[in-house]
Amino acid sequence: MTSAQPMPAATGAFMPPAHPEIGERGSDGFIRKVGRELLLAVYGALRTVKMYPPDNPVVQKTLEELVRLANDLWRREQEVDIRVTGEFIFINGTRLRLDLDNYATFSRIISAFRESGVGVCRLRGDTTTRDWVVFLTVLQQPEQGDPDTRLHELGGKLTAANVSVFELGPCSAADAADAANQLQAKEAAKRTYAQSVSVTKDVINSVRMGKSPNIKKIKRVVQGIVDQILNEETSLIGLTTLRDYDEYTFTHSVNVCIFSVALGRKLGLTRLQLYDLGVGALMHDVGKARIPLDILNKPGSLTEDEWRTVCNHPWLGVLQLFQMRGQNDIPYRAMVVAFEHHKKTDLSGYPRHVRPRELSIYSKVVAVSDAFDAATSRRAYQTIPLSPADVLQEMRINPRRGMDQVLVKAFMSLVGHYPVGTLVVLDTFELALVHGANPSPDAISRPIVKVVSDERGNVLFPGTLVDLTERDAGGVFKRTIIKVADPDRYGIRVSDYYI
Amino acid sequence: MTATSITSAAAPLTAEQTLPEPPFSPQLVEEFVRHFVRAVKTHQLYLPNNPIYQRSIEGLRTSFAPMWEVTTELVLQISESEFRWMGRSVHHEGSRAESLPWVFYKDGLRELTIMQGFEQEEVATLLDIMQRMRKASPDEDDLLTLLWEQEFAYLRYRFIDISEGIGGDVIEAAEAAAAAANDPDHPPPVISVADIQDDVSKETDRNGIVKMEDLDGSLYFLDEQEIDYLREAVQKEQTLNLRRNVLGVLFDIAETQPATEVREEVCSILEQIMPHLLAAGDYGAVALLLREAAVVVKRAGDLLPAHRQKLMSLPGLISSPSVLSQLVSALNDATAMPPQEDLDALFDQLQGETLGTILSGLKQTQRAELRTMLERTAARLASSNTAELLKLIAADDEHVAVEAMRRAADLKTPAAVGHLLKCLSHSSVGRRLGAVQALSEIGSPGALRALESALEDADRDVRLTAVRTLSTRGHRAALPKVEAAVKGSAVKDADLTEKMTYFEAYGMLAGDEGIPQLDALLNGRSALLRLRVDPELRACAAMALGRIGTDKAFEVLRKAADDKDVRVRSAINKALRGGAP
Repeated sequence: MTSAQPMPAATGAFMPPAHPEIGERGSDGFIRKVGRELLLAVYGALRTVKMYPPDNPVVQKTLEELVRLANDLWRREQEVDIRVTGEFIFINGTRLRLDLDNYATFSRIISAFRESGVGVCRLRGDTTTRDWVVFLTVLQQPEQGDPDTRLHELGGKLTAANVSVFELGPCSAADAADAANQLQAKEAAKRTYAQSVSVTKDVINSVRMGKSPNIKKIKRVVQGIVDQILNEETSLIGLTTLRDYDEYTFTHSVNVCIFSVALGRKLGLTRLQLYDLGVGALMHDVGKARIPLDILNKPGSLTEDEWRTVCNHPWLGVLQLFQMRGQNDIPYRAMVVAFEHHKKTDLSGYPRHVRPRELSIYSKVVAVSDAFDAATSRRAYQTIPLSPADVLQEMRINPRRGMDQVLVKAFMSLVGHYPVGTLVVLDTFELALVHGANPSPDAISRPIVKVVSDERGNVLFPGTLVDLTERDAGGVFKRTIIKVADPDRYGIRVSDYYI
Repeated sequence: MTATSITSAAAPLTAEQTLPEPPFSPQLVEEFVRHFVRAVKTHQLYLPNNPIYQRSIEGLRTSFAPMWEVTTELVLQISESEFRWMGRSVHHEGSRAESLPWVFYKDGLRELTIMQGFEQEEVATLLDIMQRMRKASPDEDDLLTLLWEQEFAYLRYRFIDISEGIGGDVIEAAEAAAAAANDPDHPPPVISVADIQDDVSKETDRNGIVKMEDLDGSLYFLDEQEIDYLREAVQKEQTLNLRRNVLGVLFDIAETQPATEVREEVCSILEQIMPHLLAAGDYGAVALLLREAAVVVKRAGDLLPAHRQKLMSLPGLISSPSVLSQLVSALNDATAMPPQEDLDALFDQLQGETLGTILSGLKQTQRAELRTMLERTAARLASSNTAELLKLIAADDEHVAVEAMRRAADLKTPAAVGHLLKCLSHSSVGRRLGAVQALSEIGSPGALRALESALEDADRDVRLTAVRTLSTRGHRAALPKVEAAVKGSAVKDADLTEKMTYFEAYGMLAGDEGIPQLDALLNGRSALLRLRVDPELRACAAMALGRIGTDKAFEVLRKAADDKDVRVRSAINKALRGGAP
């Protein structure tokens, strides 16, 4: 057995379909279901093996269930590949969803794998209860030393016990596989993003021309966004940096939808609730389709009358959504979101309301996402966008913005102190773009970044990913952020690095 | 052999004949699809507890077993009229309207992958979806959305992508721009590190420099209280009544936006939304709509007359007979009654012209709580809309007319007397009886006068009701007719109850004046005469004397105390005790 040998990347779940015009759904539903059951069984076995002797009936029963699930999956898929990377667990390349009812299970398994230096565990065939007893026992008795040493020791123990069904790989193998998956995920995200912008454009333009837009398409793109966020949100959130100037109206709606669904996920909304929220978020500005383009696209400051006209878009959105409804399907929640997304928590803001009203949490979520994306985007009347970090700070410290502070906090924990797309100067005088929050919750100031210019000022494309928690041999951080910078100042076009 | 060869060469192979050998017999797949199609049909026709339904589901589940012995998943391609497996047709339907493949195909589905385990629970979910699809209107969610909502674990599907035909790919444009800007043949300019260093040193006191307090973890991680707050907010969101919320928005728009076309649009939406609210069973929302329409009319002083008229006419929509009778039917059929306060709020908004429909609804109502509510609403509407009530007394629908008479009786409205009097000449006994009962309840002098004509009614119950009322109320104007009846021959043919009623009424109306007549009947001068008079009549005369109740009347009774007929003696005893017959 070569338990600790590096392995090739596992097959990903985001393999694009052969024909670009064909979509696919449900391809990971099975793995998600069975994978979750398998992990619950692993978790149960980890606990019982630690507490009772192997011949204890409770242990045996737990192990039998584990063996059944593992062998069923292996026979069906000819592959059982458990991979731990960052805060996620992948089974056969499909990322399992972390929910409130399974986070303890995930956390225990992730820490057990990490402590033993295991990044990947792949089955070579059918397992027995003895295989699992040995594996789970040695997994919970990690050796000292660096991760590779611990993994090597673990492999040795399995070999000594004559257990050869588990093929183990280091964390680096998991990361390599993850990188491959990320590439596939990114392609899927691009496709979802492009579709979403196209459909939004189609809808808004249809409304402008007095045509009836296709609601089914709207639903389909929101379903795609929800699935993407539930599977792997980083790629899609990265694409929000596009903020295309010419297509602002459409990319903004899509970005708000992405941020809202991602924030909703953080709040623990179910898949269908996220769908509802997503439709509301995507359509939040649909009322603008009734506002003359020369006002929306006016480069200078608006007159009082023009501003009043723009401020009508929330309630115009409600009327518009009534025009877009199906016979039996009135999008009430989207209407509420459209109406309320510029209201502040003290119910000031616009439009004016007369009847008593309590803001919907969905509207507050969309308000936060909307404010963030709008302020960080380049628009006709805002040629110099604010830095994402500055916008977050403003949302947090300025009560006049009227944001729900708990949601702002949740949003900050979603995007990190340095949201994706922020240009930072490192203490090496390299420039870097923030790629994603660090998976380690203790490293909020040390995101994963993409270095876009080296210490001599050479611009790098497509850049190099760097984890700012990396230390040198002396235990000192290799790089630290010292400043947030304006990409325009250095001629960096942020979106080039996220597509 | 040669001929066979020639024949083979002459007839080219069909597409299916050229296909590679399938991994297992297509008959297994055909059998499964046949069961699936049958199950979809029975799912539509029968309830889950029906044996036919259960057999078809069981047949479908069983049809999976032989397949799962040879494979773990089945991939079916879908065309307009066919399911295909490994390139072979395994199911074909000619008629598109009834075709199951078409139901999938029209919404973009092109391939289904069914995995082992699907047969356990998910197959029933798919059948539910298929049933919904068959009934769905084009505006309802399509098959793709319904499938997406379910998140199947053992069913995968491929579909035509929505991006087809939509141009302008923002990603392609961005990729092209990035490629152009980062062309390796044209290296980008080098960024001046000195500039970066300079910027950092110049801006040490300004924004942009990392502040350690910003990196405080407490800014990023929610505490327990905050998590609770969010959890509660999410839960509350799920209980929010979105319809009522949106109605509030619409009325706010109507109130705050004076533009004619905006108000026009809102009025139109309000008219259109009503059936949706009713269909959703949100009666509280309908009541809110009607109530708030009145509020806007009152508060928005700048409403155009046309808009005012539209808003004020909204209650009329729900009050129309067709809509209201639908509502009553829906409530009758509902598995559970909606909240009482919602119904009360709605029915409180109904206008006078709905009274006929409400009264009609009483006929079809089986549910006690609904009946009570309709009764209450009818009473409210009747009391505030007398003209409508009076009109309904002559309604074509006899049930409505009689119910209207009852409300008129409850209200004791003298204005109804004329209408009720007309009903006394109607050919329908039910209407005449209703009218006479209502007149009895009203009991005004006019009503009593009207009742006199009913004393000669062809129907016994009508006559009895009238005579009882007239006697109880002491309406002496009726005495001649009652006396005529008592003295006449018709009474002899009446049953005992009617005889007794008329005699007692005679006693009550005539008083001592009637004693001679009654004495003659009870105590005829000769035994022979007494024998000739029917003992029932004599017993009735005794009871009438008891009703007179004077000493003189009792003296007459005592004279007959030893009558040979037991019925007469019994009546005399009762009359002397002042008891009822």
